[in-house]
Amino acid sequence: MRTIKSLASLVIFLLILGTAYLFSGLYPIGADVPHNGFTHWLLETLRERSIERASEDIVLPGDLDRPNRLLAGGADYNDMCAGCHLKPGRDESDFSIGLYPKPPNLTQEAHDEREEAAREYFWVIKHGIKASGMPAWGPTHDDERIWSMVAFLLKLPELTPAQYQILTARTKNTTHQH
Amino acid sequence: MKRHQIPFLLGIPATLLSALALAHDPSLHKKGEAPDCAAMKGMDQAEMDMNDPVMQAMMQQCMKDLHHGQETEKSSVQPRENAEQDPRKQSDQR
Repeated sequence: MRTIKSLASLVIFLLILGTAYLFSGLYPIGADVPHNGFTHWLLETLRERSIERASEDIVLPGDLDRPNRLLAGGADYNDMCAGCHLKPGRDESDFSIGLYPKPPNLTQEAHDEREEAAREYFWVIKHGIKASGMPAWGPTHDDERIWSMVAFLLKLPELTPAQYQILTARTKNTTHQH
Repeated sequence: MKRHQIPFLLGIPATLLSALALAHDPSLHKKGEAPDCAAMKGMDQAEMDMNDPVMQAMMQQCMKDLHHGQETEKSSVQPRENAEQDPRKQSDQR
């Protein structure tokens, strides 16, 4: 009984301490100061697990390798994503330097599990990620258009700067022909 | 709230929503730079993997440019070939 009381007191004390810290404004919220190790681990784990769970039942379309998908997705990637997630031959941008958490360099992402990567890319593009700078494109872009971006992302790490330039140039070929 | 205000109040979000949809129409994205197909012209066609979707997509983008390039090449090569056959023409060209 005594142990339970001590434990309850400790929990209440920690809650009060946490609340006091929360309202004190002492936590450095600026994007130029990284999270401490614990907060970083906590948020990273929360994000990874949430995306993994939410995307596990997504069914992939069978035509992700279609050239038209690469052209449509490439043009959209160049317009909407390359500023943060970079392009072949470019290691950083103002956004990739200034944003926190740092947006992943998608030209260097290895895809050990292609299908899993495709599902997670689709979910993240469609729903975005809270407090990360990643918007939800779902409200303004239909699933077909998002799948084309996924198709392009799967090929992106293999592309040279010249291939990237050709694939992402917006011509009449890049309009949707699904 | 007065009844006549309702259409206006509904109209504002409707206008904003339609503007949002228009802004994301792919055809309204600004036309950027044209595909730089010069890199493809130097490629050895025997080494190209035509089953590779990346290569297929690049061919699709550059088809017009490559054909145009071939035609230009032909037209610039043709007179020289003719000139070789007919030495008089060769001297005329000079």
